[in-house]
Amino acid sequence: MSAREHASREELLAAGVELLEREAMYLDERRWDDWLALFTEDCEYWMPTWKTDDALTADPQVELSHVYYASRAGLEDRIVRIRSRRSPASTPMPRTTHLLSNILPVDAPNGERMRLRSSWVSHVFFPRSRESHAFFGHSEHGLLLREGRWLISHKKIVLQNDYIPTMLDIYCV
Amino acid sequence: MELKDIALYVDDRPAEGAFRVHRDVYSDPGLFELEQKFIFERTWNFLALESQLARAHDFVTGHIGRTPVLVTRDAAGRLNAFVNVCRHKGAVVCAAERGNAKYHVCPYHGWAYDAAGKNVDIKDRRTAHYAAAFDAEDHDLVPIARLATYKGLVFASLAPEVPPLEDFLGDMCFFLDLVLEQGPDGMEFVPGRSVYTYRANWKLQLDNGIDPYHLTSTHLSFIDVQARRSAGEGHLESRSYDWAKRSSSQAGAFAFPYGHSVVWVDQPEPHKRPIYPVLDEIRARVGDTRAEWMIKGRNTEIFPGMQIADAISPMLRTFRPLAVDCTEMRSYCLAPIGEAPELRAWRLRQFEDFFNPGGMATPDDTVVYEECQRGLGARPIAFLQGYARGMAAVMEGPDAVATGLGIRPAVSVHGKFDMFAEVAFHGPYREWARLMEAGIAGRKAYP
Repeated sequence: MSAREHASREELLAAGVELLEREAMYLDERRWDDWLALFTEDCEYWMPTWKTDDALTADPQVELSHVYYASRAGLEDRIVRIRSRRSPASTPMPRTTHLLSNILPVDAPNGERMRLRSSWVSHVFFPRSRESHAFFGHSEHGLLLREGRWLISHKKIVLQNDYIPTMLDIYCV
Repeated sequence: MELKDIALYVDDRPAEGAFRVHRDVYSDPGLFELEQKFIFERTWNFLALESQLARAHDFVTGHIGRTPVLVTRDAAGRLNAFVNVCRHKGAVVCAAERGNAKYHVCPYHGWAYDAAGKNVDIKDRRTAHYAAAFDAEDHDLVPIARLATYKGLVFASLAPEVPPLEDFLGDMCFFLDLVLEQGPDGMEFVPGRSVYTYRANWKLQLDNGIDPYHLTSTHLSFIDVQARRSAGEGHLESRSYDWAKRSSSQAGAFAFPYGHSVVWVDQPEPHKRPIYPVLDEIRARVGDTRAEWMIKGRNTEIFPGMQIADAISPMLRTFRPLAVDCTEMRSYCLAPIGEAPELRAWRLRQFEDFFNPGGMATPDDTVVYEECQRGLGARPIAFLQGYARGMAAVMEGPDAVATGLGIRPAVSVHGKFDMFAEVAFHGPYREWARLMEAGIAGRKAYP
């Protein structure tokens, strides 16, 4: 591998890591429009359920998911609901802190696409009940370069502790 | 209140049009213990779908009240239900949620049982110097006293003195059939499930599952999203329903003996139901009336802890009290066996959107149950007033709708949906009071 290619790989990964960290920050800071703008319009957003103690559902067309959207429109609905202030589950709004770690490429990134695997913990404080919960798991992001910007074209979220206390929303993972 | 006056917790005066429930019914830890003994441990409880146990050695685990249960299909093809507890030291034998296993081996000292519950190995028995008294004991898994199925629904009872399952379900069978006969080969759980808890009493779920009144307040944010979708924006694959269209629909409620009840509503958007494209097949198989009733919205409560909500794509949920203020929910998406892939995807998107604990409606319910539980600590309020809508329209026995269907509910009401009748709660609370009173008085649960 030449020095230039090596630097390029590092640069690509740095851009990918920054995008993932921004995504987490936008959720924590409730910058919903900025968060939505990180996704392509035709993005796939998928959080499978566990079907046995050891296996996740594998095909969202024939098996149950916690969330499955084949486009950004589903994510936009979630934001409409959160912003409505008419959803008791999100009013008062739970406070979150996402921690990301172990970000690794799934395969060799190129100048147009990359896939990253990350581990995450999302601490959620529910003002209604004065209780906190830590959701945790790992995600795979598919990123692509569109008009000079990296965007999320798919996101698969594996929620490891899917024994869910009371509720789950897109800002909890 | 004295326990001998348990029936007074349900203030039931039909002649005066009054029905109220005391807050302690939801919040008293002493009553919680008695509910375990006199309700969950003395009646039928739903455990599984037979289609989860299709092959020899398939198994599913679950609970009846506080008792861990193992349901198996044995080598001979028989269904069994056992206390999922090792006879040796009391450890849970099978920790897996479901699977296929010829033998279940206790993780502690290795006692092994086959799928028919027979003890097939006591580890190192020959070197044990057991006395004859031990050899004389039965070492098999303890069978659950009663096990029965109704069209693929598996129920069991820890107490032997329960009515036959079909008598227990009674005319609820009509409403169960409307779900179980949607597929020509029966129904199955779509792979995957949600398991969640909430910090409130189990009866808040019981109530909410048959409560049409909360839709237009608890789920206002969903209505906002739906308004956008009706204008062509958002997650259109969910084909979600416009609840506002239901307010002028005909609707009603029935309560049946043994605590079961139903609320129903005419469906103004039948084309959104995932069975709509196959309605001709259904009509030819079950007849026009039943097909028409399959399209209507119907939420059913099988007392105590199971509901089928079939107002969008059908879901089956169970709720199990873990404490007076903590409940474990399991929810499953029901689907016709062998359904076409495009209808399965339609069903899933509709289900996930509304029913999942990570969806856009259920979280608003569970959060509100917790608000109720906090509020129920308020001492100045004794009786709640949420059982009264429809009281002046309710009638004893079958109304014209029930008579037309050939069913005999204990109580009926019908009118426009915006009556938002609460009389469907009366059946479950009357049964709650009956079973609790019988238990405390030392009487049998069923005469």
